[in-house]
Amino acid sequence: MLKPFRLHEPTTVSEAIDLLREHGDAARLYAGGTELLLAMKAGYLHYDELVNVKTVAGLDRIWKEPDGTLHIGPVATHAALESSPLVAECRPLLANVEHRVANVRVRNVGTIGGNICFAEPHSDPAAVFVLSGAQVEVTGPRGTRMVRMDELQTGPYETVLADDEMLTDIVLQHEPDGVRSAYLKFGYHHRPTLGIAVDVLLDAGGMIIEDVRVALGSVPPVALRVRSAEDVLKGETVASVLADGSLVAARAGEIAAEACGATSDLHGSAEYKRHLVGVLVPRAVAQAITALPHLAGGSST
Amino acid sequence: MTTDATPQYLAIEFTLNGNRVDADVAPQTAAIDLLRGTFALTGTKRSCDMQVCGACTILVDGTPISSCTVPAFELRGRIVTTIEGLATDGTPHPLQESFVQNASLQCGFCTPGMLLTAKSLLDANPHPTEAEILDHMQGNLCRCTGYKKILEAIVEVAEASG
Amino acid sequence: MTERAMRTVGTSVPRQDAREKVAGRAVFTGDIAVPGMAYAKLVPSPMPHAIIKSIDVSRARAMPGVYAVLTGDDLTNMETRYGSDKKDRPIVAIDKVRFEGEPVAVVAAVDEATAEAAADLVDVDYEPLPVVMDLVGALEPGAEPIHDSNLCHEYHYEWGDVDKALAEADRVFEDTFTFPMVYHYAMEPHTCIASFEGDRLRTWTSAQHPFLVRAELSRIFHLPLNQVQVVVPYVGGGFGSKSYTKIEPLVMALSREAGRPVRLSLSVEEAFRTVRRHAGRATIRTGVMNDGTFVARDCLVYVDTGGYTDNGVRVTERVGDRIPGPYKWDNLRVQTYGVFTNSTPAGSYRSIGGPQAGWACESQTDIIAAGLGIDPVDLRLKNLVRAGDEVRRGSRPLEGDLAPGIERVLDDFGWRSYTPQHPSPLVKRGIGFACSLTNSGASPTSTALARLNADGSANVYFGTAEMGQGSRSVMAQIAAEELRMPLDLIRVFASDTDVVPYDRSTGSSRSTTLMGLAVHDAAIEVRQQVLDLAAEHFETFPDQLIAEDGQVSFKGESVSYGALVREMFGGSGGELMGRGYVTPNHPAGKLRENPVFWEVSIGAAEVEVDEGTGAVRILRYVSAADPGKAINPKQVEGQDEGAAMQAMGHTLFEEMLYEDGQLLNPNLVDYRVPTFADLPPVFDTILIENGDGPGPYGAKGVGEGGIVAVAPAVANAIYNATGVRIRELPLTPERVWRAISETRGS
Repeated sequence: MLKPFRLHEPTTVSEAIDLLREHGDAARLYAGGTELLLAMKAGYLHYDELVNVKTVAGLDRIWKEPDGTLHIGPVATHAALESSPLVAECRPLLANVEHRVANVRVRNVGTIGGNICFAEPHSDPAAVFVLSGAQVEVTGPRGTRMVRMDELQTGPYETVLADDEMLTDIVLQHEPDGVRSAYLKFGYHHRPTLGIAVDVLLDAGGMIIEDVRVALGSVPPVALRVRSAEDVLKGETVASVLADGSLVAARAGEIAAEACGATSDLHGSAEYKRHLVGVLVPRAVAQAITALPHLAGGSST
Repeated sequence: MTTDATPQYLAIEFTLNGNRVDADVAPQTAAIDLLRGTFALTGTKRSCDMQVCGACTILVDGTPISSCTVPAFELRGRIVTTIEGLATDGTPHPLQESFVQNASLQCGFCTPGMLLTAKSLLDANPHPTEAEILDHMQGNLCRCTGYKKILEAIVEVAEASG
Repeated sequence: MTERAMRTVGTSVPRQDAREKVAGRAVFTGDIAVPGMAYAKLVPSPMPHAIIKSIDVSRARAMPGVYAVLTGDDLTNMETRYGSDKKDRPIVAIDKVRFEGEPVAVVAAVDEATAEAAADLVDVDYEPLPVVMDLVGALEPGAEPIHDSNLCHEYHYEWGDVDKALAEADRVFEDTFTFPMVYHYAMEPHTCIASFEGDRLRTWTSAQHPFLVRAELSRIFHLPLNQVQVVVPYVGGGFGSKSYTKIEPLVMALSREAGRPVRLSLSVEEAFRTVRRHAGRATIRTGVMNDGTFVARDCLVYVDTGGYTDNGVRVTERVGDRIPGPYKWDNLRVQTYGVFTNSTPAGSYRSIGGPQAGWACESQTDIIAAGLGIDPVDLRLKNLVRAGDEVRRGSRPLEGDLAPGIERVLDDFGWRSYTPQHPSPLVKRGIGFACSLTNSGASPTSTALARLNADGSANVYFGTAEMGQGSRSVMAQIAAEELRMPLDLIRVFASDTDVVPYDRSTGSSRSTTLMGLAVHDAAIEVRQQVLDLAAEHFETFPDQLIAEDGQVSFKGESVSYGALVREMFGGSGGELMGRGYVTPNHPAGKLRENPVFWEVSIGAAEVEVDEGTGAVRILRYVSAADPGKAINPKQVEGQDEGAAMQAMGHTLFEEMLYEDGQLLNPNLVDYRVPTFADLPPVFDTILIENGDGPGPYGAKGVGEGGIVAVAPAVANAIYNATGVRIRELPLTPERVWRAISETRGS
C-alpha cells in the first residue's frame, strides 16, 4: 500500500514550482503516476508531498505551429498521443510507438512527460524523441530553458532537472517530406528489451539513402543516437542495404552493437543484447526503407 | 515526515454505475480500495497490484484504467463503471451473455476486468479484427482459460452487432 | 427397455457459477469481512538461511491500532508444525529461517495500512548461515544442512535387469535435462480469514482441500473435527498452489493472539514466496535396439523442494512414476531424490512431477529417433504400452490404447503431409510431438449428499472446491441426470466442512471421477426412494415406472417428486436424502487399483524460430484430452486449453530467478506469464471419449495432462526446424540463440 502523502493541486506552473521549491526533496511532481506510484508502493521511493500537475491548465495540450513544429504538453497521456490527429499528421512514428507502450490501461493514465522524467531505461518513447532531435522546455524559478532530449536523461531514473524544475513543453521539429520511419520493438517481458527507431530519407529516385537516423532505446542506459552506424549507411544504395546478407547493413549493426552500452539484467546478458542490436538494427533500417514516406498534410504508417 | 499532523482528506463526487456518489478520500487511497471498501463493490479484484494483470480494471469515462494504482481522488468528476454496472437493469451486457455461453471463464477472477476491457474496445470499435482484439486485450491476463474462449466470445459479440 | 438418452450429461450447459462470475457477484475469500475483523501483514525473512537471534516486537506492539504481533514464541499450547506428509513446517519461523520470505512474525491491526506500518517496526536480528541453492550440491558431504540433512525424500524402483540390458543394447543414449522453478500465479493470491473462538475454530480460506485443512487445524489446536469449520468460497485459481494447508494455521494462531478474527491477504510477491513447482534435473540413460525397440532405461532425478517439504514427498515419487512415460519397458530403474534448498517451498502444481519427467523423457525420445534415423512418431507408436498392459508393475493396467488418440491429433494437425515453409533464411519452421501418461486420481475417498425438497427442488452437497475447473457444474449435471430432474431445479453447495460431507481433496484430476461417482450414487439413492414412494402411490412395482423431468409416470398418469415427498410426510414439508460413498471398495469395483486412472498427454506443435534473435513463436498447437466421457465438453476443452497455455509459460518464458537465495523476480513485471499475444493462431483440443474411465458414464479426469506435452513438443519442433537440441527450460530467445550459436559453432 502507499504510505500517506499530502496532495497539492496547483493551477499554474509558477504555483507548482513554488511548491517544489518549498518542499525540496520531500516533494515530487505527480502526473499519471503509473511509474511513480509503483515505485512508492514498492518502497523504493517515498515523497511526503505530491504536486499534481494535471490541475495546471494547458499542460496536456497538443498543438502545431504554422511551420509544422509540433508541441506536446507533458501531461498528455500516451493514449492522447496515440490518437491525436496532429501527432498522426506531424510525427506518425510517435503515434505508432505510443500505441505500443505497456498496455491500454497504462496508456490511458500514463503521461509522456511523466515517462520522460521518470527515465525508466526499458521504455519506448525516449528513443523516438532522441531520434527526432526533440527538445523539452524546462521551467523553474529561474525561468525557462530548452534542453535537448538526448541531454535530458543522464542515466537510469536520472534527469538534469533540478528539484524545483518541471517540463512544460516537448517540441518536435517538422519532419521533412519523404521521411520513412520505423520502430522495431523486441522483448517478451512487460517492458521492452530493445527498441530501435529509424528515420530514412531516400533520394528523389528512391535508390540512395540520402540521410538516416538510428536511435536505440531500452538496451542503453539512456536512449541513444548511434551516429557512427548512421555514417556507414549514408550514401549507400537501397539495394545494397536490403540485400540478403548485406555487408553494409551488418556493419551498421555491428557498430551500433559496439556503441550500445548494454548491461546484463533480467532481460538478458550484455553479450546477448549486443547481439540483438547487431541483428535488429539492419532489420529496423530495412523496415524504415520499405515504409511509406511521410507526407505533410496527410498521415502515413 | 510531514509536520502537519491533520490527515488530509479530499472530498470527491463522481458518478458510479449511473449514480451520483461522494466520498472523502485520503490522497494515498487507491481507487480499488475505495470501491471495494467504502462502496462494497467487491467485483473488482486485486491481483498483481502493478498494472500488469488487469484484474482491477474499471472504466473511467469509458476507458479502462488500473484501479490498483490510480488513486481514488482521480475519480473526482468522472463517470466510473465497475463490473457491477455492466448489466443494464438486470439485463446482462451481450459480452456477459457471450462469456456465459462460450465458457469464457473458469475461476472468474480475471473476468470482470476482461469484460470491461472488451466493452471499452467494442464501444470504440464495434467491429474489430481479431488482431485488434488481441492487441487491445493483451494487457488482461488469465491463467485458467488459455484465452481462446475469451477471444471467441468477443468475436461473437462483434460479429453479432449488425 | 431402450437405453435412456442423456438429458444434460454430455452437453456444454453454461457453468453453474457463470452468471455470478460475469456479474462480479461471485464471492472469493478476500471479499468477505466478518464483524470485528482485523487485518494482518507478514514480517518476512530477508535472509534465505539464518539463525534468528532475537525478535523485538515492542515498537510494533506499541503502535496504536495494533492488536497483536505473533512470533514463534507465541505458539504455546498448540502443535507448532504442520505439513502433508512431513510436518516440518513451523507455523511461523522458530529459531531459524530456511528461505527468503519465510514469515518470522505477523501483525494484526485495525486496518492494512497500520498492519503494514507496524510490520516495518519489527526488528529481527539474524545470524546468516551458508546458503544452499544447488540441487545436486545440496546432497554432497559438507553442504550446510537446512534440516537434519538436505535430503527430503528418496524414491527408487526397478524391474528387470537394467545393467545387463543396457550392456546388450545396440545404442545407449544419455542426456541430462533441467526444468526451472516456476510459480503457479493463480490470479487470486492466498487469502485466509481465521476466527479463533476458544473451543471452536472457523476459517474462510482460499484452499483446495477444506477437509485436510480442517484435520490440520484440529490437530494443531487440539480440538475435535466437529469444532473446526473450514469454508472455501470460490477460489481464484489453484493449480495446486492452494493444496493442503498453507497460511491457515498462521492466521488462526494470530487470531488467538489478537482475540478477534483476522484476515490475511497475501500480495502476489508474497505468494511467490509461499509455494512453487519443483525444479528438476534428470539424467536419463536409455538403451535401444537399432530397430527402435526400447529395452532399458536408467534414470536419476533430483527435484528441488525448497526450504520445507510441502508436497515434496509425493512429487519426488510421482516424478519417478512418470519416467516410463507411455512406453513398454522390460528393464527400468528410477532413482529420485527430493532435495531441500533455501528457496520458496515447492508443493503441488498441476500434474506433479509430470512436466518435469515429460520434458526430459519426451525430448530424449526425439533424440533417440534422430540418432537411429527413425521417424519420431513411428518410434513412439512402436513402443507404446497397449490397453490392458501394466504401465507400472503392480499398478492399474492402461484403460485404452493411446495410438488412436495420437492418430487423431496428427490428423488434425496435418502431421504426415507437413512441409515447412520457411519465411526467410533466418526464420525457420518445424514440427514436434510429445506424448505421456500420468497416474492420476489421488485417493478414492469422497462422499456426497443429495436432498430432495418438498417442492421438487434439490440440494446437492459435496466438498470439492470450485477453483475454476467447473466442478459445481459437473456435479449438478450428474445429479440432474441421475435424479431425472431439470438442471435448473438443482442447487449445489460446496466446500463448507460444517455443511457438506467429507471429501479428501480437490486435485490430481480426481473430482469428476470420484466425487462424480459419489454424487451419482447419492442421486440414485434419492431416485430409488422416489420410485419406491411412487410405486406405493400407483400401487405397482418400481420397475413399471418411468422417472423423468421431476415426475414419475405410470400408464399415462404422473405424479411430481414434490407431491410424493409431501405425501410421505403427510403435510407440506419433508425431504428425501441420498448418500454417496466412494472408497477403494466401491461396488462398481473399479477403484481398487492404483492409480484411479491414467491421464494422457498428447500434443503436436508447429513453431517458428527466428535464428537471428532466438525468438520462438508457437504457430499451431493441437492436443488431445481423454475424459472418457465429457460431462461438459466445453469445460473439458477449456481445461485442456488452459493447461496447454500454462505450459507455454514454462516452455517459453517463466523462470523464478534466484541469486544467493534472493528471489529476483517475484512480481508480474519481471516474471512473464502468457498473454493473449501468445495465443497460437491455431490452438485445438480434441476430446477422446471411449467411456473407459471408472467415473460416472465411463468418465475419467482431465485438467493436468495438457500441461505435460507442450515443452517437449516445442523443443522437438525447434530441433526439427533448426537441428538444434536444447535441454533446459524456458526456451527464452537468449537460451535458444546461445544453443544455436554453440551448435553451429559460430
